[in-house]
Parts: sequence; structure tokens; C-alpha cells
Amino acid sequence: MKSRELLDTINARFVNAVLRTDIPDDTRLIVHVRREALKDVARYVFRDLDARYCVGIGIDDRENSGGFMVAHDFAFDRDNILLSLLVPMPADDPTLPSISDIIAAAGWSEREMRDLLGITAIGMINPKRLVLADGWPDNLHPLRKDVPYNISPADYDETKTYPFDEPPPGTTVVPFGPFHPTLDEPEHFRLFVEGEIIRGCEYRGFMVHRGIEKLADSVMTYNEIPMLAERICGICGCVHAVTYAQAVEQAACIKPSPRSEYIRTIMLEIERLHSHTLWVGLASHILGFDTLFMQSFRIREPIMWIAEKISGNRKTYALCLIGGVRFEITPDLKTHLLDVLKKLETEWTAVFAAVKGDKNIMARSKGVGVTTKEMVKNFGLLGPIARATGVDIDARRDHPYAAYDKVQFDVVTGEGGDVWGRIVVRVLEVFESIKIIRQCLNQMPEGPIVCEPQSELPNGRIGLSSVEAPRGEAHHFVITGKNNRPHRWRVRAPTYQNLQAIPDMIKDQRISDMTITLGSIDPCFSCTDRMEIVDIKTGEMRLWQPENSFKAQPEIKISVRKRP
Amino acid sequence: MKHLGFSLLAAFINIVLALIVAPFFEGLMRKITAIIQSRKGPPIFQPYMDIAKLLIKEDIEVGHAPIMQRFSALLSLGAMLSVVLFIPLLGFAPLARYADSILMIYLLSLAGIAVLLAALSAGSTYSIVGMSREMMAMMTLEPLFAVAVIMSAVKAGSLRLDAVFGGAVYSGGIISGVCLLGVVLFAFQAFVGRAPFDVTEAETEIMEGPLIEYSGPKLALFKYAHMVKLFVYAGLLTAIFIPRINTGMRALDAVIFLACQTAIVLGVTLIAATHARYRIDQAVRYYALLFGVAVCCLIVSLVGW
Repeated sequence: MKSRELLDTINARFVNAVLRTDIPDDTRLIVHVRREALKDVARYVFRDLDARYCVGIGIDDRENSGGFMVAHDFAFDRDNILLSLLVPMPADDPTLPSISDIIAAAGWSEREMRDLLGITAIGMINPKRLVLADGWPDNLHPLRKDVPYNISPADYDETKTYPFDEPPPGTTVVPFGPFHPTLDEPEHFRLFVEGEIIRGCEYRGFMVHRGIEKLADSVMTYNEIPMLAERICGICGCVHAVTYAQAVEQAACIKPSPRSEYIRTIMLEIERLHSHTLWVGLASHILGFDTLFMQSFRIREPIMWIAEKISGNRKTYALCLIGGVRFEITPDLKTHLLDVLKKLETEWTAVFAAVKGDKNIMARSKGVGVTTKEMVKNFGLLGPIARATGVDIDARRDHPYAAYDKVQFDVVTGEGGDVWGRIVVRVLEVFESIKIIRQCLNQMPEGPIVCEPQSELPNGRIGLSSVEAPRGEAHHFVITGKNNRPHRWRVRAPTYQNLQAIPDMIKDQRISDMTITLGSIDPCFSCTDRMEIVDIKTGEMRLWQPENSFKAQPEIKISVRKRP
Repeated sequence: MKHLGFSLLAAFINIVLALIVAPFFEGLMRKITAIIQSRKGPPIFQPYMDIAKLLIKEDIEVGHAPIMQRFSALLSLGAMLSVVLFIPLLGFAPLARYADSILMIYLLSLAGIAVLLAALSAGSTYSIVGMSREMMAMMTLEPLFAVAVIMSAVKAGSLRLDAVFGGAVYSGGIISGVCLLGVVLFAFQAFVGRAPFDVTEAETEIMEGPLIEYSGPKLALFKYAHMVKLFVYAGLLTAIFIPRINTGMRALDAVIFLACQTAIVLGVTLIAATHARYRIDQAVRYYALLFGVAVCCLIVSLVGW
């Protein structure tokens, strides 16, 4: 099926639902839907056409179309189509019907657009605040275009607290976070516990908002944003930079240079290698098996060194530009990289042999944190979590990008949907990554590493891009804008979807299994929390801020508030 | 009177020896673990420095019952050091004349009780979880060790410690003795609270459990007690299951005893470094199984095998 056929299918089913359509190419489809018809169309796409829900995006489009918009993105993994259902809304009535009762995966997206843009999805299942800090004023929506990026609201209420649920009768609350030494990132799960058994939990996250999306569409320029996007995550940063670049390239019809596509693929796979080896180490640590933890980190170290040799950095490669990449893989680096891969392959084979037969690891991980195919569908679970459940999705194969359509590799799937399955999938994916990098190094065509766009990028075009991060598909949505910067850029990290299923995954499990269950989705809270609020407490923004953009707006002062 | 004076001197030497050697064992464990993990590891004397540093830190009072917390810290080390008095480190057990096996078992449980008290008086959620785990472990582990001691006592025909020690467990039927040795070895990691049975503290699950609220000198005492515990159990294992060492030279006896303890510590290190932690329910099921086997050994020994 191609995007045009998909459109025909939708049109055949619904009369008067579709306002306008845009078919950029065979793999992308943008359908503007009437607000009243959204629910039916979404149900049809999600249930009958069996699409996977990606993310919902709220857009303040008042300066162009005079109103707000919401986009719900879907992926057709077998047909390689990304579909965006766009719903326009008038500026004085930013409401639309909620779809989270049909698609549980849309829950967070709807809460987020309510927080950040004041777009209310009527009939939301859980209307609590998701992104904004507890003390943030209710009527101030930071992602609206008329709110400055560095606002520090005067009526911020330090005393306000989050309205947590009452624990069910017979249970006590065990706090997991806001800081838990196992995860090293702030997150807060309130576990409702009966003895050692978890009966339920409530999540409050988004504590490290950095205002990345707001910064991008109000201060930075197209080619600066990849550097910002890399800083979304300390582990899969390159993924976000590439996803962003691809979304812009698709929106503006730029074809990146063929050689750069290979370099992107190689760097993405190097990133996956270091991420998976890191994860195996951390998972072992959570299970109290520190020897494998240390050995994985030792094995991982040469990957970091070669990344540093190629890019100048162990992490945060600063790889991407619109239309290409910033650095070359020279013959010298190629030889070195091949050596590293060879050593890695040998050592990882030993790790696999050790893990495969380890009774203790099996005892701790089999039947723990189980996901079912229904959960994968409903929550839009991604990556190794979906694959360990036997759902065969992988954006590298399903929505080929960069050079992935030119290399051979297997998508590793498992069975059981438990932590053990995820361990096996990740361990085996390392070998596939090695395979991919070797093929890329052999096939790389000569040529320039960047084709810079010669003219200004067009305004108001939509780009969708999916990249398989180590933790699952990262999905970016871009609307191009004026002033050499996007009008709206939405990042959906894989953890955003996977985290939503955690309460279901840990229900009726033991406290001891909580950490490994959470660890098994390889959570990346910083990716998920990439939000639009400027961190006034630390003034962290300065790091990413070109000096002159401060000078451009001298009337706004950054206040650094003291902690109470 | 002269005899009492001699005993007291030996007891004093025992305690000093325990306090000196226990951190060394810990350092040895860390170093060997590091080698297994391809690390360089801390200096072997790091545990002494750790304890010294913790001891000179400010004693912060947090939790619900500061007096009880201080008491439990002292109790945990105190109970362990009392057991040291009955271990034949120098070839004979210094105060064995004044105590018997029952008292020793009590003192060993007292160390566990100290952890329970510590957790309860700290009152944090995680320490309570740790407490319930410690309690579950105690209820299944203590009887197991008791069986080992009782069997030796039954075979020796006396509860006196010097009768129980020195391989009495093998007399009158070696099969049951060897089986019991096997059981105790399988449970040994649990006795000393090391991986894969460090469920009570489980840093990555419940963040040190009972000890979560402790710092400074109190933490130093708990840590010290934990180290001495390994020393004590290694000593008891040697005393009960290794036939009496008697070369005729006191000093050589003492060295051989220490060598046996060191070998046990090395074994503990190897197992701890190569196993993932069990979950509390899995651990308790494992203990229960071992307890069953131990009781069978006891019955078999009564038959005379």
C-alpha cells in the first residue's frame, strides 16, 4: 500500500471528514480532518487499519491559519507509511474530542498539549497535569507563540503540590523516587504496596524540563538545532539529531548526500552498540550481578574511544546538518573501526554465552514485567519491548532511512514479553549492529558529505521522521517556519510511550522486580522530559544559548531563583 | 583466678584480632572482586580508612528513636564481638568454659535483632521493607545454623563449646556430618549476607534497606559488624567442621586457623562475584529447602550414619 491508496481507503470510508490532504511522497500522508470526525477516523485507522499510534502534537498556528492545530501521527509499519491526522481548531475554542479512550497511547500526548498549549481534549481519561511544574500558573501555556521562551511567571506558586491519588485500601505507599540511586535520573513513582506486592502505582515525572522545543522554535536556527537535539539524550543523542534532520529534509524536499547517509547509519549503529552494552551492564547491576556490569563496561569502552576518534567526542557526536553530516570516515578510521568491531564481536559472544546459561539471571527476569501484544498495541510500545513480545517492528526495516535499505540485517524478536526476552533481544541486536556497520563501511560511495540547501527552506511544510533508537522508535514532527527556524518541532522519544505502560507492567509484581522492570525498558527520563519550560532555577539555558540572542531581547532578564 | 586472667587475656586478643582482621578480609574481597571484574580495585586497606572516616564524621540523628538507633548500632557490633570470644582462634576458645552452644546461637540471632531494631527505629519505608526481609531470612536461616550446632552437640554428647568444636560433627557417622557441611556451605553466603543473598540490603532495590537512614559513626559500627560477621562465621565454620588443629605449636595452630578462614572468605568472594541477587521469595524458598535437608541430616545422624 502506498500513501495515495491509504488516502483512497480513508476517503471511501468517510464522507465529509477530510478537509484537505497532502501527499509529499509514497511514504508520507498528511490528512486534515474535521474536528467532529476525528474520533471516528482515528478509531478506523487504529483499529480497522491496524496502525500504530506514534504521538499527538499540539500546534499554535495562529499566525498562519488563525487557529490551533493538533496532529495525531500513526505509523503503518508493514506498508512503510507515516500518517498525520491534522485537526484545525479556531483560536477562541481550542478543544477537540479525546481519543485516549480508544487509544490509550494518546493519554500523555493529550495531557501534554493541554499543559503546554491549552488545547483541551474533551473526555480525557486522566486530566492531571503531566508536564508543567506543580506551581506553574494554570492559564499560562508556555508553548504558545505569544509566551516568551524565557518567561519566569510572577505568580509561580512554590507551595502548590501535585494532587496524588489516594492509595487503594489495604495498601501502603512506597515512594520510588523522586531520586532513586538505581536510575540516576529524577522520576517519581508512588507504589501502592501490599506486603512486598505492588498493587498499583502513579507516575509523576517531567522534572528536568529544559525547554528544548520552545528554544528551537523561538531562538535557534535550522542548523543549530541538531546540536540541541543531540543534547536531548546523553545516550541516544545522535538519534534525535538524525531524526530531526530527516524530518526537515523531508519537509523541504532536500536529499542528503549519499555518502552522508552511510555515515549517519554507521554513527547510529555505533550509538546502538554503546547503548546496548551499557544497558546490559546496568541491568546486571540492578540484578546485583556486578561482575557482568563491569565486564560490559570494559567491553564498551573501545566503542567510546573509536567514537571519540571519529567525532572528537565519546558521546554527543555533533554529527548532523540539514543535508548531510559534519565529518568524514577516513580509510584510517575505517580500519580502526573494523578492528574494534572484531574485538567486540569476540567478547560479546562470550557475554552472550555467559548470559544464556545463567540460572540466576533467568530466575530474576523470566515472567517479570510482562507485556502482552494487546499492551504493545494499546500503549504503542516500541523497540526491544515490542520485539521481546513477538511484535516484529523495527523502524530501520519498516520505515527505511539513511542507508538501511541498502544493508542486510535481521530484526531480532523474542517471546514471552518479559525482562528475560528484552535481555536476549538486546544482546543479540549487538551482533546485527556489527553486521550493519561492516556492510556500510564496504559499500560507502565516494562523494561530498553534505549537500547544503542553496535557497531558503519553504515555510509551512510538514515533515515526519522515524528512527530506530536503541530503545525503540524516535519520532519527530516538524513544521517549517520563517526566520530560518522551524515553526513547530515535536520530539517523541521512545521512552515517552514505553513509560506509559509501566503501571500495567509492574502490577502484582514484587518490589524487588520494580527496578529491573523499569530498567528493562531502558528508560530515558531526560528524553521524555525534553519539555518546553525553561529551567529558571539553574539557568541551564545559557549552555545552548548563542550570546547574541540574549542581546536581541534585552528587556527580558533571566532570573535565577534561589531554592527555598 | 590465674586461669580466669589467662582466659580474659586470650579473649582480649581474640577481639583485637577480629577487629583487625575483619576489615582486611573485606579489603581482600574487594580486591579480588575487582580483579574478577577487570578493575584495579581499591587498596587492600581501604576498609580501615572507610571505617575511620565514618567514625570521625558528625553523628547525625535522623529517624524516630535516636537512642534506639544508637543502641542497635552498638548491639550489632557488640553481639558479633561477643561471639568472637567463643571462637578458638588461638587453638582454644577463650571463654568457652563460661558459655555453651545455646548462648552462642542466641548471640548470633542478637546480631540479626540489632538490624531489625535499627530498621524499625529509623522508620523509613525502605528500612521497613528491609526489616521484613531480614525477619523472613532470620526465621529460616537461624534454625539451619542451630541444626548444625545441635548435631555436633548430639554427637559430642555435650552442649559445651569445646566439645562441639573440632570436628565432633563427624564422629559416630561421617555421612551425616559431610552432608551437613554441604548444607552449611550452600547457605554460607546467606549467613554472611553476601550476594546472591544480600536481599536485606539490596542496594539497587531498596537502597541498603535497614541502613538507609544511617551515616557517620553508627554506619561505621554497622559496617564493622558486617565485616566481623564474615570473620565470625568463617571462624565458626572452621571450628565446627575442620577437625581440631593441633600441631603442638600455638602460633602455627593460629596461623592454620586463619588460613582456613581466609580460604572461606575467598570462596565467598568468588560466589558473590559470579551470581546475580535472588529475590527474597526465591531466597527464602532456597533456605527452606536447605533447612529440610539439614533436618534430614540430623535424623540420619541419630540413626548413626
